[in-house]
Amino acid sequence: MAEVSFHSEIKSLTLGKGETFRGEGILAVTKALLQSGVAYVGGYQGAPVSHLLDVLVQSEDLLSELGVHLETCTNEAAAAAMLGASINYPLRGAVTWKSIVGTNVAADALSNLASAGVIGGSLIVVGEDYGEGASVIQERTHAFALKSSIWLLDPRPDLPTIVRMVEKGFELSEASNTPVMLELRIRACHVYGSFDASDNVASTFSAKHKIPSPATFEYDRLSHPPATFAQEKHKTELRLPQAQKFILENELNEIAGPEEADVGIIVQGGVFNVLNGRLALAGLSDAFGNVKVPTLVLNVTYPLVPDQIAKFCAGKKSVLIVEEGNPEFIEQAVGQILRKADLNTKIYGKDVLPAAGEYTPIVMARGLTQFFEANGVAVPALAEWIAQTDAHQKEVAAALGSPLPPRPPTFCTGCPERPVFSAMKLLKQEMGPVHVAADIGCHAFGTFAPFSQGNSILGYGMSLASAAAVSGTQQKRPVSIMGDGGFWHNGLLTGVAGATFNKTDSVLIVMNNGYSSATGLQDIPSSAPEKDGRGNGLEIENALKSLGVPYVKRQRTYGVAGMMDTLRDALTSDEKGLKVVIADGECQLARQRRVKPAFAKMKAQGKRVERTRFWVDPDVCTGDHSCIRLSGCPSLTIKPNEDPLRTAPVAHVNNDCVGCGLCGEVAHAAQLCPSFAEIKVIENPTFFDRLRHRIAAAMIRLLGGNRASPAPVPAE
Amino acid sequence: MADVRPVRLLIAALGGEGGGVLASWITNAAVAAGHVAQRTSIPGVAQRTGATTYYLEIAPGSADRAKPVLALNPAPGEVDVMLASELLETTRAVQSGSITPSRTHLIASTHRVFTVDEKSAMSDGRVDTDKMLDVLRRFSKSSLLTDLAATARNAGSQLNAVMLGALAGSHTLPIEADIFRAAIRAEGKAVDANLRGFEAGYALSTQGVAKPAEIVPASAPRAENQLEARALQLVPKEAAPIALEGVRRLTDYQSEAYATLYLDRLARFTKQRAASGEFIRELARLLAVRMSFEDTIRVAQLKIREGRIERLRRESGTGSDALIRVSEFMKPGPEEIFSMLPPKLATRALAWVEKRGWSERSIKMKVSTTSFFGFLRLRLLAGLRWWRPRTLRYAQEQEWAERWLDLVERALVIDPEAAKGVVASADLVKGYGETMKRGLKNWTMIANFVVEPFLTNKMPLDQFANAMTQARIAASKDPEGKALGALITSLRALPHPQQIAAE
Repeated sequence: MAEVSFHSEIKSLTLGKGETFRGEGILAVTKALLQSGVAYVGGYQGAPVSHLLDVLVQSEDLLSELGVHLETCTNEAAAAAMLGASINYPLRGAVTWKSIVGTNVAADALSNLASAGVIGGSLIVVGEDYGEGASVIQERTHAFALKSSIWLLDPRPDLPTIVRMVEKGFELSEASNTPVMLELRIRACHVYGSFDASDNVASTFSAKHKIPSPATFEYDRLSHPPATFAQEKHKTELRLPQAQKFILENELNEIAGPEEADVGIIVQGGVFNVLNGRLALAGLSDAFGNVKVPTLVLNVTYPLVPDQIAKFCAGKKSVLIVEEGNPEFIEQAVGQILRKADLNTKIYGKDVLPAAGEYTPIVMARGLTQFFEANGVAVPALAEWIAQTDAHQKEVAAALGSPLPPRPPTFCTGCPERPVFSAMKLLKQEMGPVHVAADIGCHAFGTFAPFSQGNSILGYGMSLASAAAVSGTQQKRPVSIMGDGGFWHNGLLTGVAGATFNKTDSVLIVMNNGYSSATGLQDIPSSAPEKDGRGNGLEIENALKSLGVPYVKRQRTYGVAGMMDTLRDALTSDEKGLKVVIADGECQLARQRRVKPAFAKMKAQGKRVERTRFWVDPDVCTGDHSCIRLSGCPSLTIKPNEDPLRTAPVAHVNNDCVGCGLCGEVAHAAQLCPSFAEIKVIENPTFFDRLRHRIAAAMIRLLGGNRASPAPVPAE
Repeated sequence: MADVRPVRLLIAALGGEGGGVLASWITNAAVAAGHVAQRTSIPGVAQRTGATTYYLEIAPGSADRAKPVLALNPAPGEVDVMLASELLETTRAVQSGSITPSRTHLIASTHRVFTVDEKSAMSDGRVDTDKMLDVLRRFSKSSLLTDLAATARNAGSQLNAVMLGALAGSHTLPIEADIFRAAIRAEGKAVDANLRGFEAGYALSTQGVAKPAEIVPASAPRAENQLEARALQLVPKEAAPIALEGVRRLTDYQSEAYATLYLDRLARFTKQRAASGEFIRELARLLAVRMSFEDTIRVAQLKIREGRIERLRRESGTGSDALIRVSEFMKPGPEEIFSMLPPKLATRALAWVEKRGWSERSIKMKVSTTSFFGFLRLRLLAGLRWWRPRTLRYAQEQEWAERWLDLVERALVIDPEAAKGVVASADLVKGYGETMKRGLKNWTMIANFVVEPFLTNKMPLDQFANAMTQARIAASKDPEGKALGALITSLRALPHPQQIAAE
């Protein structure tokens, strides 16, 4: 079951007319789906849209009441294909995923869907993982919309607009028989705000009121020749004009500011707030978005409406196009529109704004200043602010002297995947380096210090496939890392089936932690079946065996020495073909959520409970920190040395330690140092515990345990 | 329509610190106070212990007016209030312009959560705390800088609740304290603990941070026996406390005779004019550390010392009513074991192990110091102190110490500054097993290819001191010793003094 509990959010999904919804953007979208009478929802988790599915999975009562069919798809391709239901049936459907990566995976189904067209409104909610906080390749979903003729919504990031675009999106989809994409950037997905709710609507046909009979055979609905040739025509000759008509009539794009002016701005809806902030600073707008420069806000970034663009630009000397990311599709299109309309309004865009990267306030300000100054509009306030900002950064840099160390994300305290990388690092010292094909998931943190392992990342579940040619052309066997999430998402077929089919001689490590952890602990096919979960305990090992993998070994991750032996064997065994090591160890995040409360309860009830944790003896630690270079656990840290004779800080286990045992294992496996101690804490000890303890203590006294030397005096 | 200027607030937190909850408390309070509030965040994978931020804008005034267009990104120089949960991340926020002298009230916890880079350094890689604090004071308009994490611990609460209290107490937002309290109650999780934390934080903001107690100057070190008396009259006063500690350490480590050897060794330098008090202090410190080398006997001794279990209990935050069982991780290899034999025997044994290819083998042990037999084993081992002077390890360590001291002595005559570097180089030799071998290897390389060439006038003397510093830095740069190798090659390239003379 997902990491976050949406108990209170679920209530707000039931709000009706006259009530006010308060919450984050992605939940507002979820509510808007229900208000739009959606019949089915699906998708694949991934920041920033994970919560859309998480909250629906947790509100199955509400869904069944509305008859909404919910699927947690095994990957984005499955989610996209699911929209196929709307090709033949009047069903509104919505799916969601992280883009650009999810859209890439979904591409095949998307093309076929877009070609056939839909009669039921089809909405694809994509989390545009772009800019600060993004975890994927920086590309635009826009390209997919263009090439497949899928309409693209990019709403202003305030809740009423987002909700309206969801509702209008379904209508647009039905009015033009075309699937529609709603693009939300990271900050827009997490933006908290409010909107006036309306009642949820139940779909005419749904999981509750099922369609009595299947659609009649209509060859034209198949994306199969010769129908595909007609469909290509429809895209441009029928659906596009219908869409453009709808966009105009429903005023999906917003025009603000004075009628007459020399300059104007065309901006993607999603970027408007940043633009307004800087315009306000320049005295060209206010806190309420009353811009003093004519501004065309494109809540629909594809298709553009040529008449609208031309009308807006007519009579203007220059227009700035604020379009984040590249290529600059909108700028190119506007140029062509103006040319055809024979308007010589000058276009500014990527010449004053950067081609790559997020349009943050400072970036926006630099672009605006250039644009306005080039057009004889003085913006002293902006220029001054930019100068101040640059000066500040120089001063701070000077005051600090050296750059600050980075803080990338890392494995959680006690993470079961960390020991695998400890073992690999030790093995590297022993056998020399091997090619490591990394993958998407928590285990990608193994590419950061202190492990710094991984030669390539080719996508989610792609590691083994990405090592195919490497294993064929390299003396040493490559090692591919894959999470169980990636395994079910793609790795099983793309990687494992391919490797067995081609008898690829390489090693695969599958991190079997039981969840899709990086995206928020969603269940996957191999998750343990729980009452509140969706897992059904499929066995990864059986899946591998059934594909004819000759060599499958299981290894508990925390046993570093054992993991080293297993990997050594896999890397050196004479066995040809694919060698898979299943690294077993439940996600510690999930485990602690279960264990901690249970432990506290038992302790409170006075039951005997035993917990383990680790400790470093500051007198024995020599402050070399080899242990940290092999672990990097957040709870294994450093503290000042109390010994007046020593200066280097000593290793120290803080109280977040969950006693996973890696410290000790590493100390043993690496033959590091004898300063680690395992502590078993027995709460509510029994009579026998106490007796045993007393006897031991007494006998230790007999051995003169007290005559040993005192601890060193603390440093002054 | 009258324009409004929203109050802008940025929270910097580490994943899992409850920054999200803090942000939602503030938003809910703002809404309850009748303001328009917007917040956003970029959690993503940063939820996994990375650094992340939450940005809030609160437009004062009744919420039923026209909706303002609030920003989703903090703009440099426009943040009114900054809440930060960790010192380094706070400093980062100054760099990005989220904290500026003209506008920002800063509420930050000064405790450190070290980054992997800082932790994994081979000696001390920590960023300078004082420098960061100076930057924070200099670049914020006003600030509350104190260890809020400690405040939270003492209040038995979470850090985020303390920060909310500190925010309420700062009166930088148009929101009454009671409305914040109500927000905590409304959220309904760990309400009492959170309210305790809130009040603690509120007090910090309203009453200010208590001044830290003045550090009383340490009373002059007093000798408790003849040996200690000798130490005191031998060394300059800067070095006195260290020399005294050294004598005590080595008496406990081995014997008074051994401590006497320590003082005799120091005596070789105390007379020299070139040897400053600071020089003697460092020499005394490192000599004591190296002479109390950690062999199996020492480790055993340290692990059974009195008060250790109590300390362990304290540091592991274990309640007094709970029992604890301690098992020590030990893995002596042939080196550790056979180097406890007399040199002749040991070298033969080790050669045999080498021949068998068993050098890498070692015995995994988990010895319980809270059980009778576990303690007995270590007690017996610790009891072998009388035997130590006969062992190979002892011989090796004394040989090493003599060579080191010899190099220091010769360097001191030529260039006191460089001599300091030679002294400091002893810090490279530390640890156990592989770590120890690596340290010794690096030190020997420096001794042979840096120190000796300079002492024998094969390298230009004006480079000596600098080369020593460089060498020490290089040696602790990477465990593989790449940096040190590179440095030595570059030193070899230096023009040969004789050549210069010839020209």
